[in-house]
Order: sequence, then C-alpha cells, then structure tokens
Amino acid sequence: MNAQTFKDSDTVDFVIVGSGAAGGVIARELAQGGLTVVVLEQGPRFSLRSFRHDELKDWYLGGITNDAVKNPQTFRSDATKKAELQKFKPPLWYGRGVGGSTLHYTANYWRLHEIDFIERSVLGAIPGTGFADWPITYADLEPYYTKVEWEVGVSGLAEASPFDPPRSKPYPMPPLPVKSSGVLLERGARKLGLHPIPAPLAINSQQYRGRPACVHCGFCHGFACEIGSKASSLTTVIPEAEATGRCEVRPESYVFRIATDDQGRATGVAYFDRDRREHFQRARAVVVSANGAETPRLLLMSASPRFPNGLANSSGLVGKYLMFNYGGRADGVFEHELNEYKSVQVTRIVHDFYDSDPKRGHYGGGGLDARFGPGAATWAIRALTDGPSWGSTLKARLKEFPRSMQVSSHSTSLALESNNITLDPDVKDAWGLPAIRVTYKDHPDDLATARFLQERCAEILEAAGAQRVMQAPVAEQTSSAHLLGTCRMGNDAATSVIDRYHRSHDVPNLFLCDGSSLVTSGRGQPTMTIQALAFRAGEHMVRFAKRGEI
Amino acid sequence: MDTLTLSRRSLLHAIAAAMAGAAVPFGWAEMAEAASHLHEAAQAGGNGKISFLSAAEAADVEAITAQIIPTDDSPGAREAGVVNFIDRALATFLSQLAADYRAQLAAFQAAFRERHPSVASFASLDSRRQIEYLKEVDRTPFFATTRLLALLGMFSLPTYGGNRDGAGWKLIGFEDAHVFRPPFGYYDRGYPGFVIDPVKSK
Repeated sequence: MNAQTFKDSDTVDFVIVGSGAAGGVIARELAQGGLTVVVLEQGPRFSLRSFRHDELKDWYLGGITNDAVKNPQTFRSDATKKAELQKFKPPLWYGRGVGGSTLHYTANYWRLHEIDFIERSVLGAIPGTGFADWPITYADLEPYYTKVEWEVGVSGLAEASPFDPPRSKPYPMPPLPVKSSGVLLERGARKLGLHPIPAPLAINSQQYRGRPACVHCGFCHGFACEIGSKASSLTTVIPEAEATGRCEVRPESYVFRIATDDQGRATGVAYFDRDRREHFQRARAVVVSANGAETPRLLLMSASPRFPNGLANSSGLVGKYLMFNYGGRADGVFEHELNEYKSVQVTRIVHDFYDSDPKRGHYGGGGLDARFGPGAATWAIRALTDGPSWGSTLKARLKEFPRSMQVSSHSTSLALESNNITLDPDVKDAWGLPAIRVTYKDHPDDLATARFLQERCAEILEAAGAQRVMQAPVAEQTSSAHLLGTCRMGNDAATSVIDRYHRSHDVPNLFLCDGSSLVTSGRGQPTMTIQALAFRAGEHMVRFAKRGEI
Repeated sequence: MDTLTLSRRSLLHAIAAAMAGAAVPFGWAEMAEAASHLHEAAQAGGNGKISFLSAAEAADVEAITAQIIPTDDSPGAREAGVVNFIDRALATFLSQLAADYRAQLAAFQAAFRERHPSVASFASLDSRRQIEYLKEVDRTPFFATTRLLALLGMFSLPTYGGNRDGAGWKLIGFEDAHVFRPPFGYYDRGYPGFVIDPVKSK
C-alpha cells in the first residue's frame, strides 16, 4: 500500500498523537471524511510475522509495550510519600507500537450500560470523590457501539443477557466456541440463579472483513495476534485510513510538546524521530489519543507562560481522577482437564452484579468472567497455593495447571483527585523527558466491592463442582493496564478538561480522546467504550473541520 | 486428547479448510511464519556457561531455586537450568535488576554465615536444613525476586536459557502449538450449545 506522506512543513488538517484504540479510529474517520491526517506513534510498526509466543518478551521486557528501562515510571500510594522507581515492571502498562494497546489487549468488548452514564444522579454524591454523570448518555453512544461491533468486528450473542442495554443491531459474528471454563461458569452460575452469557470479544469467530477466524492458539492477553484474528487498529482502521490516500502513519515518532500561538491555539506538535532528531509537524488541529497516562503527561509537558499548569489544564484536573478498575479473583481446581491455556481468555461472563446496590453498604459493581490468566509463567507467578508459595506446595500447584481456572471480577473505581499522573521531578526517560509519576490508592468502596465480588466468584466455582477454591487477597492495587479518567469529559470547564465532543475547554483546536475521557470507570473492559467515543468524536471533528470550526 | 497439534504443513491445511473459497488478503504468510517459530523455540538457549554470577553465587542461587521448584517425580528448577536463565537475565535482558540482586544475594549469604558459621555455604547444607533456613527468609525481597526469576526461567522460551528441553512446559502439561480445535478440555466436550434462558424455554 502506498499511503500518502506529508512533509513536516505541510500544514495538515489534523495531527493525531497515538495510533491505538482511539487514534486509529479517529484517523480513519477523518481521512474518510476527506481531511488530511498525520498519525504520530511513539512505538514501531510491527509486522504480524514478527509476533511470537514469547511471554518473557511481551510481558516483562516491553516487546510490544512500554518497559521499565526506556519508559521508567515511579509509584507511590499517596502524595506524602516519595515515589519509587519501579525497575522490573512499569505500574502503567500500555501498547507501544502502531495499534497501541489493541496490540496486547484481551479484546473483551463490553458496552457500558445505561446506568454507567447517570450513576451520580441515580445514587447521589459520594463525599470526597469526583463521582459525576457523563455529559452524554448511553443513547448518544449506542450508534457508535454498533459501529465498533461492525467496523472493527465483534463476536457475541445479542439478546443473551437480561442486563444488556438496548442495541440497534445484533453482533456481526456468533460467539467463539465455549471453553471448559465457560461451561463450568455457566453451570455454577445457573445453579445459583444467575445469568451467564457468551462473552463479546473483538476476536473473529469466523472470517470477517478479510481477517481470518481465530485458531485458538491461546496467546491473546498481553500478546499481539500473529494472524490478525484479534482486532487491532494495526490490522483494521489504520490500513483503512491509509487506503484513503489522505493519512500518513509515522511510527517511532515520539511527541514531547504541543505548541500554541499567541491566541492560545495549537499550531502542531514537536517530536523525536527514531534517530532522536527533533521535528515539528504543523496542523490545523491536534488530537491527542496517547492513552490515559501519556495524554495527560503530554499536556503537562506542554506547559508554557500562557498555560503554566500544563496545556488545557485551567481546571487543574489534567492527570487527576485516574481509575484502574479492580480485578478480584478466585481460583478453582477441577477433577478433569480444562486446558485453559488454549483459545481466547474468556468465553462466558456474568453481569448479575453489574449495578451498584445500596443494600451492600458501599458503592460499586462489576462483571465476572471465566478465564485462566495469561501465559504459563505469569500463571505460575500468580498461582494461589494452600500454604507456602514455594517448595512442594508450589510444585503440586503447578501440576494442577491443566485442571485450573479462575473466575475474575472486573469492577468500579471511584474518581479521586488524589489518584493521578504527574511528572516525576527527578526521573527521566531514555529521551530525557520527565517520567510518569503514578499516585494511586483504591477507595475503600472499591476494595469492598472487590471483596464482595470475589465471594461471588468463589461461590460460582464451588457450585460448578471445584475440588478446591482459593481466593487471592484483596489488596490495594499498584499497577494497571486500564488508564482511565485523567482528562475527563464534562459540560463545565471548571470540573472537566474536554467537552462532550472531546474538544478541550481551553484550546479550541485541541481534541483529546482515549481512556482519559471517561467520567466513570465502568466495570472493566474499557476499549469498546474508548472506540465508540472515538467514532463519535471523529464524526464531530469532520463536521467541525468542514464548518471551519477547528 | 481431541486437540490436535499440527505440524507446519498440516496447520496450513487446517487454515485452508477453515477459510475455503474465501479471498484472504492476509493471514496465510503469518500462519506459516508463526508455525516456523516452533522450531526456534525448541532450540535450547545458551551454552550453559555462567557469566554474571560467581561460582559460589551460582551454587547458592541454584540451590535456592531448586527448593522453590523442587525435583520430585517430575523436573524442577535444576533440570530446567533455571540458574542459567537467571545468570543470563542479570547479565543482559534484566540487567537493571543486577546491582540490587547482587547486593541482596550478598546479604543473604552474610546472614546465612552468621546463622550457620560452621557451614561453608547454603548450597552445601542438606535439603531438609535448606528448607528450614528458607522458611526464615521467605518474606525478604531477595527471596521474592529469586522466586520470580525462577518461575520466569522455568516457563519462558528455552532460547532464554531456562526451560531446558521444555522441562517447565512438560511439568505443567502445556503444549506450545499454534492451532487448537474444540473441544479444548473435558468439560466442553459434548456441549449442547448456549440456551438463552433455560427456565423460560422449558
């Protein structure tokens, strides 16, 4: 494919920072809408044939993600402490390459429910938090959820769940074949009167839009799909954007500053190329879709005399309200082999505990799924044992690998100003730019929700006939791949960073769209919503551009 | 086992059958390429020479990892060459951990000498007493890092120096193939299909 290329000195209509879940979609929408686009991606452009079943590389050495050496991060639980450099694994984990985190995600594609957008109104304020309604509703986003399902490709079964919000179209593909963990989750959950349903996944159950059906190799979570069955921006929307002849994707282009003029308008972005030479790409408008960690970091690094606290930060909320989602779990061992390392992570889910219920005594809710955990090494590292986590008890546990599964919960995180991303005052990355400093401590309600859901996970395993059930301790989280809420959407410029169309309140031709836009955390699985937001944002950006409103 | 491990050739046949008649712009070359990775992975990594750890350090680390993943009727850390992996990791791909790890290991050895002044080294202790000693120190950062590295060495691709001859994979019954077919396990065999609401449909 001979995609269009531009010169730095060309003023393109839009420059997009990031080529992942949101950046890829917006690039396609803008380019198909007749606009010229340059996408700058900090990571390389991988070929599918470079992807391996290499857990050490992809999970621990930054094979397709940020890593602890090039992209160091520091962590602390609260602002009274000095943040410590995390030398082994960075606390915030994201895809680094064309496709972004759609390279290594698990591809669980849950829509938010109607309640997610209006929870604050329905449940009331939660003191000490930034709990708020969204400026849009489920009905506003529904057409774009459907667009994701059909344009990106999602397998699932419509009308299966009594809890699903209304939808305008069924899924384009049937669900993936059920795994033993899915059968057992279904069995256990139904015994308890719950409503298990097939998991919606952005993984092809049959050939779809030129990409093959899944061959069940088992390397989805934390790995890139070597045949393109798992949807990634790399194999879906990015090639479609390039096919217009109006979009150039420039890999290994690491943006470090958004420039503004005397009127406070964005003029383009400064970046390092692969040889660390500085460039400046001019554009009529700038879109930042760099993920919930890198987007606020870039705004903070773009501080100037006119914007002393960082760009688009008159609210002071850039980087704040970081939300991870909680992932509590119980492990079960069964009599016969499940061989959970084969095929996709998840085939059945339970949404009976999705809504917050005041009777539980705390805010929060979540979804449950059956899965095995990622690769063999990570499974072993995290394996729960009755007794010491080494020696003969560990050895016996390792032998149970084929007979093991887990039921995991995916639950709410409240927005707290004290959970945030800032620039580390001391640590620099390999380019000499300030490292991400993460400050995070789960709200007590989030931990209570995790404990509540974990009990439900254990009950399901017991009802399914597990020989043994073990629960991981619910402890405060220190890492996540869900990077949400750090440039939230809202109608009021004093309490949000972007408006309902993703335009920053402070800079009229600067748009932000990715996990940072989310107002509440949902119940895990954020990519579906990030992409629905991106389709909607892209459509409005085309409209704005054509009316001269950028 | 109903699942099939396929050679590269039969794998391509399987994909061909699955996508019969369809024009497929990509997927084919990738599948062939992916299948060829199996051969790479099967080649054991390294020459087994220890380069970062001293002989005495390597002996202690090997002894500790052999207690973390002991050998019984199945291979443990020793047979998988985990110490080889750890040495290579600290020298190369996890070198950012090397200085801290070496200092922690020295502290472990010093504490051991203080506790057992008449014993030459942890490695020279008999297994029962090694376990007793490790129970005293299994909450230290050094032990946690050693456990982490031992498990990474046990289950990472053999090209990194551990998991010799796939010893770790054999232990847990993991098969590194690129295509599987349902049923995957015992419980999904004969699954009748998903029924939306079994109560109402009765």
